[in-house]
Amino acid sequence: MKLNLTHRAFLTGAALLAASWGCVAANRPATAQAPAPAVLVAMQDELGRSMEAMSAADPPAYFISYTVSDRQLAEVSGSNGALLSSSADRARWLEVQSRVGTYQLDDTHKLGDRPPSWTSPGTNVPIDDDIAVLRREIWRETDRQYRAAAQALIKVKTSQQVQVQTAEGGAPDFSHEPPHTSVGPRVEINVDRKPWEERVRRYTAEFSKSPSVLNSIATFTALATNQYQVNTEGTKLAFGQIHYRLELFVQSKAPDGMDIERYANFDWLDPKDTPDEKTVFDGIHQLVKETEALDKAPLANPYAGPALLTGRAAAVFFHEVFGHRAEGFRQKDISEGQTFTSKVGEKILPDFISIKDDPTEASLGGQMLLGSYPFDDEGVPSVNVPLVDHGVLKTFLMGRSPLVDVPHSNGHGRRQLGFTPVARQGNLIVSSSQTVPFSEMRQKLIALVKQQGTPYGLLIDDISGGFTFTGRGQPQAFQVTPLVVYRVFADGRPDQLVRGVDIVGTPLVSLTKIVAASDTQEIFNGYCGAESGSVPVSAVAPAILISEMEFAKKETSTDRPPVLPPPAHDPEAKVQQP
Amino acid sequence: MKKLSTLVLLAAFAMPLAAAPAAGNRAAAVPSAQAPVPAGETDQTLHAMHDEMARARARLVLTGVGKPFYIEYRLLDLDVRNVTASFGALVSSSTSRIRQMSVDVRVGDYHLDSSNFISEDGFQGFLGSTGEVGIDRDYNSLRQDLWLATDQAYKAAVTQMALKQSFLRSLTKPPEIDDFSQAQPLVKIDPRVDPDWTSRNWEEEAREASAVLKNFPQLYGNRVNYYLVYATTYRMTSEGTLIRSTRHLAAVEAAVDTQAEDGMSLHNYYSVYAALPSGLPDAATVAKAIASASTDLMALRSSPLIPDYTGPVLFDAPAAASTLAQVLEPSLSGARPPLSMTRDFDAFLERFGGRSEWSGRVGTRVLPASVTLLDDPTLQELQGQPLLGSYDVDDEGVNSQKVSLVESGILKDLLMSRRPGPDFMYSNGHARSALLSDPLPLSSNLILQAADALKPDDMRKKFLDSCRSDGHEWCLEIKRMDNPALSAVRQEDFSEFIAELGGGISNGDRVPLLVYRVYVADGHEELARGGILEGLTLRSLRNILAIGDDPTVLTYMLNSQEGLGGTALGAFGSAQDGIPSTVVAPSLLLDDVEIRGFHGEPSRLPLDPAPPMK
Repeated sequence: MKLNLTHRAFLTGAALLAASWGCVAANRPATAQAPAPAVLVAMQDELGRSMEAMSAADPPAYFISYTVSDRQLAEVSGSNGALLSSSADRARWLEVQSRVGTYQLDDTHKLGDRPPSWTSPGTNVPIDDDIAVLRREIWRETDRQYRAAAQALIKVKTSQQVQVQTAEGGAPDFSHEPPHTSVGPRVEINVDRKPWEERVRRYTAEFSKSPSVLNSIATFTALATNQYQVNTEGTKLAFGQIHYRLELFVQSKAPDGMDIERYANFDWLDPKDTPDEKTVFDGIHQLVKETEALDKAPLANPYAGPALLTGRAAAVFFHEVFGHRAEGFRQKDISEGQTFTSKVGEKILPDFISIKDDPTEASLGGQMLLGSYPFDDEGVPSVNVPLVDHGVLKTFLMGRSPLVDVPHSNGHGRRQLGFTPVARQGNLIVSSSQTVPFSEMRQKLIALVKQQGTPYGLLIDDISGGFTFTGRGQPQAFQVTPLVVYRVFADGRPDQLVRGVDIVGTPLVSLTKIVAASDTQEIFNGYCGAESGSVPVSAVAPAILISEMEFAKKETSTDRPPVLPPPAHDPEAKVQQP
Repeated sequence: MKKLSTLVLLAAFAMPLAAAPAAGNRAAAVPSAQAPVPAGETDQTLHAMHDEMARARARLVLTGVGKPFYIEYRLLDLDVRNVTASFGALVSSSTSRIRQMSVDVRVGDYHLDSSNFISEDGFQGFLGSTGEVGIDRDYNSLRQDLWLATDQAYKAAVTQMALKQSFLRSLTKPPEIDDFSQAQPLVKIDPRVDPDWTSRNWEEEAREASAVLKNFPQLYGNRVNYYLVYATTYRMTSEGTLIRSTRHLAAVEAAVDTQAEDGMSLHNYYSVYAALPSGLPDAATVAKAIASASTDLMALRSSPLIPDYTGPVLFDAPAAASTLAQVLEPSLSGARPPLSMTRDFDAFLERFGGRSEWSGRVGTRVLPASVTLLDDPTLQELQGQPLLGSYDVDDEGVNSQKVSLVESGILKDLLMSRRPGPDFMYSNGHARSALLSDPLPLSSNLILQAADALKPDDMRKKFLDSCRSDGHEWCLEIKRMDNPALSAVRQEDFSEFIAELGGGISNGDRVPLLVYRVYVADGHEELARGGILEGLTLRSLRNILAIGDDPTVLTYMLNSQEGLGGTALGAFGSAQDGIPSTVVAPSLLLDDVEIRGFHGEPSRLPLDPAPPMK
């Protein structure tokens, strides 16, 4: 396979991450020089012993892996000008995977449309480096997971005898992968929460100056994760990642009861890249301005016609409409829609569009990419995967659940703590070989409006997220929720902000209607929720012009705005504290 | 303001209720006016609550709909220290400050209001009427949060009232009992107490206390948890109640577990509670107690199985107290259950033994003629031992009162909140809630005494005599009942317990932990394992063979989460979500108790032996 590429890409990613650890780890020579971490020693001690017993048991285990995620989290949150919470925590979570059967058919085999057997996913283990105690916890959890797996395998075997196998279902349950050894230094954060407590108060107090803002929350988080993993194939990993984030969130209500929400986030890897006050306040003022404008904006009507998506909006669009359907495990699950399963080698997008998913890149143009990692949650090094090359689908994102035609992982097996990893996106990066400046895109939108005779075109400036149905039980549709939508008129009138629409559509049609892309990529950093929980991802795309897009009325609340004005903006009320 | 996840069934249980008849003892017209914040008071929380409520009382009204007739603000300000260790190693350690508010707004009147009604649908607001609020104790942010919560609670009340009135029209005879009883407003502002975490190193104590478990190589898992909390509670009503009160609690709770050689899962627990962190025993003392619980667990491991059995059973005082908490609690409340559009709620109560057997039976004999049962939240201590169930003012702002439930075996009174019931109308200060859950009439310090109590030697003699006269070679003595909320090393073990036993609870299934066979011939004892008491209900208590003169205080955390308050499962709670309560009970000798031995399939033993601990 693409071993060279794998290797090179991985080194790049690791180097970038190591650089950012350097400045943190430098203060702690003691931990940096420490021999093998206690967690690894404990896991290694138990692994051999467990495998010896369980591979000889009936049914035999053929694979065991241990993952301990050591998370150090500092979180400071403010609301409406006051501190909401301020905490620092550290915890270790152990996950054990004990697979019984064979690589071809094991206890994780999905049965028809039934969800796989669920065992609670792990346990808290001590944060003190006491090897004997850690071993005791690992021993217990291993036995629990082995029992659950042994029971699940019986169900799998029984059902095999009564159910037909689809071609896709004939793929093995688990892929063979070469072992990887990499023991990096432990990462740590050292956050003084006091200044952040002051900052979140100031930020949310600034929001409260607007009577339109009913509620505001600002949350700073600093997270250091040290992940330790060993398995019976010989993988032995210790690696760390640090992530800082500031989130701003405001809620409002339009006079007709529609909920208005605006959100912004800042992500960085190194404390020196902390956004300065001016940047944050500019962001706050922008959110307030948009909130106030949205409160007053007219409701949009259902519409089908040309639409221009700015880079961030386009990024979310690709994540929902294309990215989720490129996740490998969906291609073998008969309950899935399998939109692209048989389309490898076929054209699914215009010639000028290429898409890759590259978790090996820690940043792009100086901005952090949130979906980066050196190894995935199944211990496989991350890989830059070209998914679409000039419009042609090349492959899928793969964890260790192989497909008949894609027998190996490409380092995309990911999960939130407590979930079983499946193939997920990391940094989905869309690029275009033909680009035009954004201003020209606007002109093209207006040209399309004239050509199609629609009353206006839509400019989508921000998308909060969306969801997509990939299963067979539902229509193969997606819905994304634009937060800031403008009507762009052909006759030169100024753009008009509107609210209350969702973008709806079906993936195969929508993707082929892309007619132009801009010359500047924008980054959306967020958390994506799916089968294996919520994982950090990036989506990167240029602005795109779509010749026809469908908009439907958004589901809305009929709950009226508050009866009384906000206390701080009530001329009749005592508003000052005594 | 952050929205808190709502405990559906709790919310369902909700609120004061309804009733008409009953002995009125204090029904003078209640002023409906807000109490002013005392002059010179600098607590901005009180000022923010006062000013926002004043605005709501004056101006909160939707066109065509009535104004609120009752508004209540509750605010809880918590300082929590939570430390867990296992085998001498720290598992987690946190210190947190949390403030939560809960706003109740009602429309209608005392006779028929928007509360006490469970419907399938209701108001869906964008923010709830409960939630986390800022921890700065400032004025402005709290007003903002209270403003939105009051607005949401009012709209919810209006919606609920419409649904309720429409449901009432579908009934042949709507309930005549009032929804809410009147009570004298109370103004009581306690000084605030600042938490003190510095005097002891709780992480070190948790490590030290749990390190002793390394000496038990057959122990599988364990958790030793230190939970310390300082709570300031605010309550303000549109009737004029204004309360700031402080409560604190310190707890050590430990769970240990293992498997017997035949695969049966076994566990034990230890708990100790004090009003203040300084009242907790030192680490060496805790270590000793945990070691003792583990020694008992190891003895259980190698003990024989209990066979099926029917005959006399001697409950030692701690086991008697736990059994009484399970058997009595569901029948102590005099409140009528809420009106429900669905049958699910009734089914839920049935399932967990939550239906009162005493309601409607006032004046009849319910316990042996020698027995007195009372619940006394005003009692601070008994024989030098503090009673943690005591309080001055209940969770509806009513002064606590001693209630004589049963005198000479005759049912005289029931525990009342401001939710009236068929027998009684007014609160006797027993509304209790954990955190900001809805207050229910629950016990505080429940005390059972007998006029004809026997000395321990006489108890034992009577036990062996009745055993002998029944023709048994041995009979059973229960020294300790299980408390699965404390003995489960993992939370899911407790959930499993409820799932497995839940159905049996209403039929009187009770789980003992330390059961001994006592031989008639020479009185020697043998520990046995695996039995479940069957059919142990209120009926079993009407004929108690003998009662000891050895009253013992059992301190436990009454669980009112997920609607368990007032059910038999309410006896199983932990410090994190329970309500401090006590049962004072002597040893009890019951005749004709059924015990079902273990008939299930035990799990198999781990494939590997446990790894070495040293």
